[in-house]
Amino acid sequence: MLSFVRHHVSVAGCFARLAIQRQLEYPLFLVSWFLMIPTQYFAGIWMLKIIVDRFQPLNGWSFEQLAFVYGLGLLSHGLQVIFFIQTWNIEGMVIRGGFDRMLLRPMNVFFQFVVNYVNFIGMIDLIPGSIIFLYACSKVGFAWTLPNILKLLAVILGGMLIRAAIYTITGSIAFWTKASRSMVGLVGQLFERTGMYPLSIYPVMVQMLLTFLVPVGFISFYPACEFLKQDDRFVLPLGLAIWTPVVGVLMFSVAHAIFKLGLSRYESAGS
Amino acid sequence: MPDKNCGGAALSAYLYIAKMRILTSLAYRFEVFVSVGSNLVLMLATVFLWKAAYKGVDVVNGLNENQMITYAIVSVLLSSLFQCDVQNIINNRIREGEIAIDFMRPVNLFGCYLGEDAGSAVSSLVNRMLPLLVISLLFFRMVTPSHAVSWVLFMVSCVFSFGILWLLSALIGLTAFWVMELGNMGIVKDTIVRIFSGSLVPLWFFPEGVQNVSRYLPFQYTYQTPLGIFIGRLDTAQALQAMLVQGIWIGVLLLLLHWVWSRARKNVLVQGG
Repeated sequence: MLSFVRHHVSVAGCFARLAIQRQLEYPLFLVSWFLMIPTQYFAGIWMLKIIVDRFQPLNGWSFEQLAFVYGLGLLSHGLQVIFFIQTWNIEGMVIRGGFDRMLLRPMNVFFQFVVNYVNFIGMIDLIPGSIIFLYACSKVGFAWTLPNILKLLAVILGGMLIRAAIYTITGSIAFWTKASRSMVGLVGQLFERTGMYPLSIYPVMVQMLLTFLVPVGFISFYPACEFLKQDDRFVLPLGLAIWTPVVGVLMFSVAHAIFKLGLSRYESAGS
Repeated sequence: MPDKNCGGAALSAYLYIAKMRILTSLAYRFEVFVSVGSNLVLMLATVFLWKAAYKGVDVVNGLNENQMITYAIVSVLLSSLFQCDVQNIINNRIREGEIAIDFMRPVNLFGCYLGEDAGSAVSSLVNRMLPLLVISLLFFRMVTPSHAVSWVLFMVSCVFSFGILWLLSALIGLTAFWVMELGNMGIVKDTIVRIFSGSLVPLWFFPEGVQNVSRYLPFQYTYQTPLGIFIGRLDTAQALQAMLVQGIWIGVLLLLLHWVWSRARKNVLVQGG
């Protein structure tokens, strides 16, 4: 067991080193990421501030609380972008026959596929994420106790798994249709628009869909409800935050199964 | 390129490009279907955000809830039309070295690129905007301009908006002549435009200081002007005044494009091949 883990870690480490070297090849590109990502997310939170200032707290969520949800959502987004960015590219792999060489190696293909590219540029996403989240924590008086910190870590990792799983499931459509990139873009839009805002501003129908069909609500809204003691009108046993990692692991295993099913239909590239 | 109209007016070449563009984009139905879905998500998210903001509030800054919801919906509709691809086209042509071939063509390069984008806008009118419009008319109460004059002003100012957005995109694209690879600079520009054009949140709600600066920038004349006319926030006189500013910006950006272009031509470095 131990040597199994050690083997996988060393393979992942090799891939990561290659990926980082590849990304450092284009320093100007890095600069443009540094400009783009923080601009986008600080702009998003600024829009929320303007709306709350001119109007009122949204459904009882003050700006600081909105920033908490936004920051929490952004942190799991950042981790997903670092470790699971490959899941956006299943279409390309299917079309170009990219799984060929992975199938030849004696190791789980999904594992190889995921660790094949560690996108350390994704750390840039964590910058606005951490700034906004830490700001919100100080404003809402988040208690940094050990149980809270553990819960927070479980929530962020769970959120990362939920995001990665939904991307994997969507991307795997390409195994059947040869096209899924635009669907992946749609999912990205959905995460961007609903994963970082309180779900309670949407009609109940939409809330249900985003809880049971595409469990976006567990990424940051439900855990934030518990951390901020917001009235959530939606009660689950055991408290809300604990459900995020549970849903995450569950979704991730479903995604892995669907990926494997798809891979059995994989027929390599044409020529 | 123009087959039978070769000797004819150059305009027909650009119209031909536009027509081909329309036909190509009509061919990719699945892509279009998904992009409508993506815009729908954006539209619903903003509409419900505004509904939450207006809960128990009648009028803010002279705008009521229906006006604001209309503003948000029409903003998404317009953004599905205003897809300026010219920055990516120029960047790709330079990266692939194809810009050399473009230089040899007996037509104006920017005419071709404008033809492509105008063609996509026309096809988007049918296959991207129309479905969204139908959905929003079914589910939301929208306000419409009260008389014909406002409709005309709205449409003309939309054309001006497209002009400004397109010129900004072309200018960003041209910087690729110097940096060789734009990377994400296009997206940085898009983000700045999205905020300061009032396409998400109207500038009327922004802090005073930002509003004062924004008056001297081209961005608010791309979305806020036509949208303001549509929901009746700008009366006819204000609309005409804003449209004059739109015209001035088009002139300024055209001159700037001309100047940058004349310098860029001297800076061509053809890669690969």
